[in-house]
Amino acid sequence: MSGDSTTCVTLTINGEERTLRVGRSTTLLDALREASYFSVKYGCGVGDCGVCTVLLDGQPVHSCQIRAADAAGREVTTVEGLEPVVKGVAGAADVAYLHPLQRAFVEVGAIQCGYCTPAQILVAKALLERNPDPTEREIREALSGVLCRCTGYVKIVQAVRLAAARMRGAEEPSFAPVEATLAPGQSPANVLGEFYRARPLDAPLPPLVISPPDLEAMHVVGQPDVKVDGVKLAVGRPVFTDDIKLEGMLYGALLTSPHAHARIRRIDPSRARALPGVRAVLTHHDVPRIKYASGGQSYPQPPPFDQVGLDDKVRHVGDRVAVVAADTPELARRALRLIDVEYEVLPHVLDAEEALSPGAPVIHDEVDTEGIYDAQRTIVHRIGADAGVSAAAWARVDHVFEGEYRTAQQQHANIEPHVCITTWDEDGRLVVRTSTQVPFHIRRMLSPLIGLPVKRIRVVKPRIGGGFGNKQELILEDLCAHLTIATGRPVQMIYTRHQEFTSSRSRHPPVMRFKIGVTDEQEVVATELELIGDTGAYGTHGLTVQMVAGQKALTLYNAPYSKFACDVVYTNKPTPGAFRGYGAMQCFFGLETLMAEIADRMGWDVVAFKRKNWIKLGEELLIAQALGEGREGFEQVIASSGLDQCVEVGLEAMRWYQKRGQRSSDPDGEAKGHIRHGIGMAVMLHGSGIAGLDMGSATIKMNDDGSFNLLVGATDIGTGSDTILAQIAGEVLGVPVDDFIVTSSDTDFTPFDKGAYASSTTYISGGAVRKAALDVAEQIKEHAASMLGLPGADGLHLRDRQVIASDGTSLTLAQVALSSLHQHDQHQIIASASHMSYTSPPPFAAQFVEVAVDIETGQFTVERVLMAVDAGRIINPITASGQVEGGLQQVLGFAHCEEMVYDQSGRLVNPRLGPYHIYKCNEMPELEVIFVQTDEPTGPFGAKSIAEISMDGIAPAIADAIHDATGVWLREVPFTPERVWRALQAL
Amino acid sequence: MNGYQSSLAGPAEAVRPWTVDADTSLQAVLDQPECHPLVCDSLTAVASWQIRVETPVRRALTSPRVAPRWVAALLALGASVTVSGGSGSREVELALLLESRAAGRVLALHIPPGGVGRRWGQACVARTPADEPIVLACAVVEMDGQTVQQARAALTGVWPQPVRLARAPSQLVGGGLDEASIQAVASALMQEVEPRDDYLGSAEYRRAMAGVLAWRALEQCLGGEGGGR
Repeated sequence: MSGDSTTCVTLTINGEERTLRVGRSTTLLDALREASYFSVKYGCGVGDCGVCTVLLDGQPVHSCQIRAADAAGREVTTVEGLEPVVKGVAGAADVAYLHPLQRAFVEVGAIQCGYCTPAQILVAKALLERNPDPTEREIREALSGVLCRCTGYVKIVQAVRLAAARMRGAEEPSFAPVEATLAPGQSPANVLGEFYRARPLDAPLPPLVISPPDLEAMHVVGQPDVKVDGVKLAVGRPVFTDDIKLEGMLYGALLTSPHAHARIRRIDPSRARALPGVRAVLTHHDVPRIKYASGGQSYPQPPPFDQVGLDDKVRHVGDRVAVVAADTPELARRALRLIDVEYEVLPHVLDAEEALSPGAPVIHDEVDTEGIYDAQRTIVHRIGADAGVSAAAWARVDHVFEGEYRTAQQQHANIEPHVCITTWDEDGRLVVRTSTQVPFHIRRMLSPLIGLPVKRIRVVKPRIGGGFGNKQELILEDLCAHLTIATGRPVQMIYTRHQEFTSSRSRHPPVMRFKIGVTDEQEVVATELELIGDTGAYGTHGLTVQMVAGQKALTLYNAPYSKFACDVVYTNKPTPGAFRGYGAMQCFFGLETLMAEIADRMGWDVVAFKRKNWIKLGEELLIAQALGEGREGFEQVIASSGLDQCVEVGLEAMRWYQKRGQRSSDPDGEAKGHIRHGIGMAVMLHGSGIAGLDMGSATIKMNDDGSFNLLVGATDIGTGSDTILAQIAGEVLGVPVDDFIVTSSDTDFTPFDKGAYASSTTYISGGAVRKAALDVAEQIKEHAASMLGLPGADGLHLRDRQVIASDGTSLTLAQVALSSLHQHDQHQIIASASHMSYTSPPPFAAQFVEVAVDIETGQFTVERVLMAVDAGRIINPITASGQVEGGLQQVLGFAHCEEMVYDQSGRLVNPRLGPYHIYKCNEMPELEVIFVQTDEPTGPFGAKSIAEISMDGIAPAIADAIHDATGVWLREVPFTPERVWRALQAL
Repeated sequence: MNGYQSSLAGPAEAVRPWTVDADTSLQAVLDQPECHPLVCDSLTAVASWQIRVETPVRRALTSPRVAPRWVAALLALGASVTVSGGSGSREVELALLLESRAAGRVLALHIPPGGVGRRWGQACVARTPADEPIVLACAVVEMDGQTVQQARAALTGVWPQPVRLARAPSQLVGGGLDEASIQAVASALMQEVEPRDDYLGSAEYRRAMAGVLAWRALEQCLGGEGGGR
């Protein structure tokens, strides 16, 4: 509540008259959350993101832009007010009893992190009340004011269509994934005709899952189960970090640097401390100088440890200066303005290549940072690796091609900002409730910074409103903890949207120079990549992002000789970190664009050229062993690949050879006017966890009724990993997902897992779940055998919540559970298991795009995107396709418009979601997802990863398509209208 | 290209000015059946439903960064406003208000009626279809037979002000509307604009786009009675 004078406001909230005491400037958002309507979310505070939307007299408004006082006498609707069809216990838990919109959102899979879901549902409600039968365009237009970073909006739109149809009593074509199993010898491309013909012309295409003829059928794995957390997210329950209020909780706020590079000569917090209601003000004088690296990675973290909690030097605009805890957020912000700071402004450098030049400012001149390769030249790391014999390879080369490529610094734009609440528990242990992807890493990393042993820290991860790598980092937890230690009280800290841009993390913007040698026979025999990695002000993920970049880029075509040379440099920009795609997507832009250019210049068919060279089944990943990822690499061999089939399917679906090379003003016409159409493609691979490093664990415990607790350290950040892990366990134990109570993650109660990153959860954590389930299954069978008087468990199997003997006799799991717990050979059926892997099997994919380019303005539109993916066996086609669709929204922004831009002083000029611009619902192209299943022998039930690969090929596919349309090659991302226009002018 | 340029068909024109109270929300403006297609088009795609509900006409006019496309459409349509001043209320051209040559609290917005000879067009360039335009041109031409009676073009992104009327189209008045005259206007307009660099586009690019987009907006006016193609 505001600190200004208060007034009472009476308004109707969800049909109930309420009188709220509010400040004159209190927003409706703050008033509603203060009154425990937690479905209404903070996302930006300036009306850009729309997640604070409520209905005011039936119309959608940003509650952050409306003063609570102005809502007096009016009717406010939040998602809490949507009436379930059946109230009470059933309505609270069963999707079938929800409001039709909420039900459709859950069933279609429109919910990932769920942070924007209440707002989307409310807007849809308002729309359907105005227009019960909206067109897809009208739905998209209505929803365009609520940003989603997870879903690509595909299933949100379908959910609204489905709900609208149900509410009208009409039929709506199902959007459930379509399965197609190939006959022996049948090409996956042959199933497309029937698939496309089966859909009405105006209906969007659901995901298509193609299975090879010999893929073993499953019962739970592969099913389009709804997310286990779907209902609570759809009804807006208080499940996110910020949705609790602790007694006596204080509000923290962070003072950040206005300078790109400066030394703090003097800092005086006395005026701030004197402000009534301010409980603590901490500066670098108050916080111990403990060096750390903020990237949430396994022990020992990669160097350098170049950060401290609060420093006497600032290295980018937005860097930490001081922190305050006060009784209200407004007081905390007022206190920040009362901290006197005297800066000695230092020269700064924003460009990575300039940072390497002689005389560039030294950004880390402190003496206590170890592990910087050359601090005086701002080089954090120098990485070099090669595989094969250079001289022999280059001697075979007939043609050498080189290209320099650049990509921009992209912000994650996770809609839930970083938020953390710290408090002491009754045992004097610090409880950290935080929006993180890496709870176990946070606990370990936090310990030395705050002087508490690990055993006195508990990290709880609630539901997470999107992370994408940005929350694979220690961002607020140490500061929040310091404030709790200083005050003895619970403290909440939440970033503003501006701070998300300037003080969290972003995508590394590299400069890449590729050199590829080919023979006249179209063989790639040598590939070299020189990379300058810009890690901003701090090292954090600077080493590993660039190593992944080199490893993935040089593995795709797996040339007999590969070489990677990289300097990672400091600049005075906000620090990049982990971001979905993690270096690979940047380098695939350069690699795939150059490969397409080579084919064009040589007159080769680009698909045939790539197919001849991409890594094949049974081949060793040559550079992987030499390069590794932060540690030594391991020998790895491709054990499954559906890349050939992905490309085959994509070519057929896109009618590639009919469209390629037309440069037409319309898809079937000739060039005229100022619009040119083009089609492009790229292929890619990624990884499944970090080989030899990532480890996950799971515990499964059987309950009296035959249900199970599934306790995982794996961190569901909206991806649906809780659901797919339950499916993996369910497949083994013969029970549906409904029979699992999934808990993730709490460092006190769930076993260790490295967290949600590196595309590892399905493969690594899923492997642990499968092992634990197999152990539990054996225990169940042994106990059942004893109950049945059988000599052993051989011949027993689990299916449909029963243990079934070969003679058909059976016991229910509930019978087994009750017996084991209460009656006979009493023991808890429980198992824990861990899993790690020395291989990281790559998923493969092909991405195709169609674009329309305005050759007079340089603006282009992406009209259609198709991604054909081999992610091994698909555990859940709804959540898997959701991963692809959401990734495509992010990478379209990366390729098209998203770019953090700085002025000369180092200030970000577009630190708002509006000017920065992420794709909205009403500008998404048609998205199609096709899974080409394979059976990865090392994966759980044949699964590989799906989380990141969707990021990897859109940028080069668009570059290829723009070239197809216009003849220009673009080498810098994003492809803004002016960049395209300038390239066209230079033709 | 969806969202890039208007392709508007005009309905039968109203015979009286359409007057909108300044407290009316942009959404209520959009919901009015009298809402001119050019105005409707300018209120969708970029401005969200929420913004339209929250934003009254007064705020959108006095803070043209809120809805620049809409303001440009109004300028091109020759809109005026009633403002209150020390000596009562008076009606002034919207352009004068935006240029700070008229002051006062906005009470109402008036969009003049168009005859059967009114034609219009709009073209813009943006990073993506639903992004705020980098440059936008909006043109309205009032024809009497084959002769241009009035011609107005409003542009965004090419002056320090978010939205301004261009002078160049006035050279069409009294003459015919054809490709040559449109090209002349577009060329003159490129000289008239004073763009600045920003993160969305350089001054050079914006100047070039002013010509391209003004040409396109006016070229849509060739499409025939009642509106663009």
